[in-house]
Amino acid sequence: MVREQISITSDTRYLSVIREFISRMIRQSALAAEEENKIILAVDEAVTNIIEHGYDSVANGPIEIEVEHDPTLFRIMVRDSGRRFNPETISAPDIMEHVRLGKKKGLGIFLMRQIMDEVRYSFREGVKNEVTLTKYIKRRPQ
Amino acid sequence: MPTFQILKDKMPNGVYFLSVRGFLDAHTFEELEKSITELFDAGHYRLVIDLSKLDYISSAGAGVFIGAIGTAQENDGNIVIVKPSPNVKEVFDLLGLTQIFTFAETPEAALQQFA
Repeated sequence: MVREQISITSDTRYLSVIREFISRMIRQSALAAEEENKIILAVDEAVTNIIEHGYDSVANGPIEIEVEHDPTLFRIMVRDSGRRFNPETISAPDIMEHVRLGKKKGLGIFLMRQIMDEVRYSFREGVKNEVTLTKYIKRRPQ
Repeated sequence: MPTFQILKDKMPNGVYFLSVRGFLDAHTFEELEKSITELFDAGHYRLVIDLSKLDYISSAGAGVFIGAIGTAQENDGNIVIVKPSPNVKEVFDLLGLTQIFTFAETPEAALQQFA
């Protein structure tokens, strides 16, 4: 299992740093190239949610992004110490309703669920929140 | 080269053209939102938006288009998207936005939608 992690603070200017990190890790992994844009997007959405909801867009909150991969899976753990945010209760959005109401937010979790095979949240009171995003790698025909 | 750029131009028949380039995410979406709001405030609701040079979009960026199209259409306008890059088209597909927006292959073809 290959593992690597980076740390940032809760500022959207670092989203590009995270995208470059995830891109580099995907290219080292057994994931198909066509998965790259989507998985980068899922991680961007997870981190953006933490910045906006966990830290209320205040720019000094710590965020850790750890990637592990082997020939069977690609997994990203995103950890923060911000306010607990439980997206389990959020249902799939009605896009027509978003357009009708001019509603611009609330699509990130939907995208994460669409893209990844597993999206899991864990909370340890007063310590850390963690979201784990997993994509299983299908064995390609020889 | 900047990581995000918006080029604005005037087309015939009161249509405005925006070319959005680079990376549209939670860090850059407000710049696009501001450009569109300025056009709406000046009464320009017919927009052609070229996404052929947009390398990446997240839901924060897509939210700008979702927020704007209703306002454009309520004011007898529309937003026609020109040739989104494959990465951007993928996100529009994931969000179900391809059924909401009108697409064109070129700015000229997009202009025809307002004829």
